[in-house]
Amino acid sequence: MKLNPHAPAALLLFLVAASFRGQAPAAAAPQPAPGPLNRNTIVLDAAHGNVDSGSRIGDSILEKDVTLALAFRLRSLLAARGFTVVMTRENDAALRPGTPGTMLTLDDRAGIANHARAAACLLLHATGSGQGVHLYGSELDAAPAEAAVLPWLTAQAAWIPQSAQLEASLGTALKRAGVPLVSSRASVRPVDSLTCPALVVELAPEGDDRASINDSDYQQRVAEAIAGALIFWSRQVQPPLRLPSERPVPVAATLNTPPGGQP
Amino acid sequence: MILKHQRIVFWCLVGCIVLMATLLFLERQRGRERILSLATQMPMDAVAASDEPVTLDLANDTDGSISAEPRQMALPVDASARARALLDQLMAEYSLSGSTHPLQPGSAVAEVFLLPLPMVGYSVNPSAPPLADGSPASTPVAAAIPGPGPVNPGGELAVIDLRSSFVNQHPSGVEVESLTLLSIVGTLHANLPQIEQVRFLVDGQPRETLAGHADLLRTYPSRDTVTTSSGAPQ
Repeated sequence: MKLNPHAPAALLLFLVAASFRGQAPAAAAPQPAPGPLNRNTIVLDAAHGNVDSGSRIGDSILEKDVTLALAFRLRSLLAARGFTVVMTRENDAALRPGTPGTMLTLDDRAGIANHARAAACLLLHATGSGQGVHLYGSELDAAPAEAAVLPWLTAQAAWIPQSAQLEASLGTALKRAGVPLVSSRASVRPVDSLTCPALVVELAPEGDDRASINDSDYQQRVAEAIAGALIFWSRQVQPPLRLPSERPVPVAATLNTPPGGQP
Repeated sequence: MILKHQRIVFWCLVGCIVLMATLLFLERQRGRERILSLATQMPMDAVAASDEPVTLDLANDTDGSISAEPRQMALPVDASARARALLDQLMAEYSLSGSTHPLQPGSAVAEVFLLPLPMVGYSVNPSAPPLADGSPASTPVAAAIPGPGPVNPGGELAVIDLRSSFVNQHPSGVEVESLTLLSIVGTLHANLPQIEQVRFLVDGQPRETLAGHADLLRTYPSRDTVTTSSGAPQ
């Protein structure tokens, strides 16, 4: 058997390279990577409920009833398209599971949405003013990446670009369906605390008659446009980069640091 | 022997006296409350002698716009009192008949506090000698969650304490609530440029929303919120 004369040198190079590869992960800083995202999950938050009836539309229509009706229509259409739908409210009152009689707060609703890691979070509202559908994104300034620890009141900042893209997708679908559309930005609780592409979808009457907001054909047309847009959206959405968590600071070191920050 | 009709007259008179006393007491209470409410609406500082030009960012519900409208009004010297007087004038315009953004009449703003940025606390150092004015020595301490600092030196945070009577009667809806807040922010920005951030309280406490929609917990950056130019002369 003839041995290749370059074999010892190649073996040495391989061993040196392998030793460096073994050290590399420890020395290099972890790189930002996209966070988890459930592309087939959509969160629907039918706003208000129970004693919080929202705005009064006309003489007898309550916002909480309209949002729940629209949420049920959307859930059916999305489930038929293979989505997993997470609803924060399925009855008049949004109750905390396991604690009967305790209402969900807006922060609880945001927590449910954030745990779902959904491809889209839609906060459903209704109004008697204007016509068609009003889409509102967060007013926060966009952040380049998602920090490991997020301030609760500005958690949406890293998702602003995705929310804007979702707004454009839904807007295009609604216009194609012949629904009057208004797109804007507004600070509506709890949209700024959501870690998903999030929009406030406010349903307004179809025309001058405020009672048309309860028209089943109209609601169905709006829901079908939204559900159709979400199919394409779920395929194209990309979560923001998530920054790696920093090394935790020892508690003792924190306690010994004076207010001025100098040791 | 007292006659029957005399007893009836006597007890009628006693009843009238009691009734009159009760009415007087109730009227006194009502008058006292009215004077107190008027007193709380007065600016804390004496107003300047002459009117000065101000700009109110007025909302319009019909098209969701905000326009800058020039006005002339007398303002106090103190910055906090100026801010409150401006907001009182803004809300008074909204309570007029024919307003494009109708709101219930009544005082909306209880108080406006102006705080220097960035927000810091102070840690008292008991071992250090007291200052010249006798106050204890202290060290500035940064907030637990550092907030944004001032854009310019001297930048301030305006904390607007709204009355619950105003908030509870505010119309509900994303647009109408947002317009109220943006109108307040824009009016402060136009007249008090040192204000860089605005926060809201209701009766001294944080509240989640104005009337179910607009966020009252976030810090609003003070900015120009005008969306349409006014046709009125400057």
